[in-house]
Amino acid sequence: MNLLKLWKSFVILSAAAASPAAAANPQVEVKTNVGTIRLELYPSKAPKTVANFLQYVREGHYDGTIFHRVIDGFMIQGGGFDRSYTQKPTRAPIPNEAQAGVEAGLKNEAGTIAMARTANPNSATAQFFINLADNAFLNWGDPRGDGNGYAVFGKVVSGLDVVTKIAKTPTGRGGPFASDVPREAIVIESTTLVDAK
Amino acid sequence: MGRDLLISDLHLSQERPSTTARFLEFLQGEAALARALYVLGDLFDYWIGDDELTAPGADSLAREVAEALRTLAHGGTAVYVMQGNRDFLLGSGFLAACGALPLADPTVAEIGSAKTLLMHGDTLCTDDLDYLAWRRTARSASWQSEFLAAPIAERRDRSRALRSESEARKRTKSAAIMDVSPDAVREAFRRHEVTRLIHGHTHRPGHHELEVDGRPCERWVLPDWYQSGGYLSAEDGALRLVEFSPAVP
Repeated sequence: MNLLKLWKSFVILSAAAASPAAAANPQVEVKTNVGTIRLELYPSKAPKTVANFLQYVREGHYDGTIFHRVIDGFMIQGGGFDRSYTQKPTRAPIPNEAQAGVEAGLKNEAGTIAMARTANPNSATAQFFINLADNAFLNWGDPRGDGNGYAVFGKVVSGLDVVTKIAKTPTGRGGPFASDVPREAIVIESTTLVDAK
Repeated sequence: MGRDLLISDLHLSQERPSTTARFLEFLQGEAALARALYVLGDLFDYWIGDDELTAPGADSLAREVAEALRTLAHGGTAVYVMQGNRDFLLGSGFLAACGALPLADPTVAEIGSAKTLLMHGDTLCTDDLDYLAWRRTARSASWQSEFLAAPIAERRDRSRALRSESEARKRTKSAAIMDVSPDAVREAFRRHEVTRLIHGHTHRPGHHELEVDGRPCERWVLPDWYQSGGYLSAEDGALRLVEFSPAVP
């Protein structure tokens, strides 16, 4: 076999290896008290963020947590507090992968899931949010945001109607929060890693 | 030299366990490394008497907080506590349980290498006549002795009623009325002959520079802990407002 042939077969093999990998992105089913949302995650584009999220899924961290911040037309945020607004303990924060994500095409578009964080760009732990609109200002490098961006790591592949239902739920003051808390708690009952459909 | 930390408006209550958790974490973390912790009012969302610590059926929050402050004080951080407009009945019984020292409102103290006026801040809101009238009543010896003489269950009910009344009144007041009055601020600088004032109460954290009678002065406003909380750190003349930010997009 000459070198050219060897190179060609390598290219074909790599391509063959790449596409099934893309098709086999992990999926997570988020069962809430108002319906189920299925997420597809992108480990090749946001490896640390996906690994972190999946670790919380495996540990059952999200079971019993609420969507505590719901702003229709913007996003729904949850995964940090239980029904009594006690913040669940988390592991150490992860580095922000928003830049690599944007460079790989992951942007805060409607239906995508990204990590919430404090003013410190590398402070995401367990809380996440699902974008309800194209929130470009949350992307890395966008001059309207803080520049560091919020790391997108997946998207909703089914159950968008459930996301919409959560978005439309009436909100108000709740626990330590002055506003945007659903009046009827939206609770994540379980999260499960599932085979891609 | 050491680091002094100033906090206010924690509004600790059974209804906000996450704030309590954050506060207890703060006491074991940043505060334990400080020389002194100054609480400038409204540590609790309400306080109906020091027997809250011991009465049968009393909530565990007060005891838990007193214990944590006591641990801090024993660890070498001096703890000073000022009454706020909500917990104005915090008394010597509570302070003794915490190993804390009382801080009068106002007090002039040496903070960050400068003479500094410490206040809760409610007395600076002089446009809120309605509140000031209530304050005069509530701080009078006669009202307090009558209130404290009532059984604890009755005091709980009365306190609940007073709070909902106050919330209802607040809804009808403008934001300007509930902020400090610039005249009252200038008057405080003059009367106490200071160039630095630190207070809480307004829930509008910030650093304001102003001139009073030709002298440059500064006013620091502490953050509340309803959402995320924070503190003012004073170390070797450098003051810094540290706000814990909530996780958001």
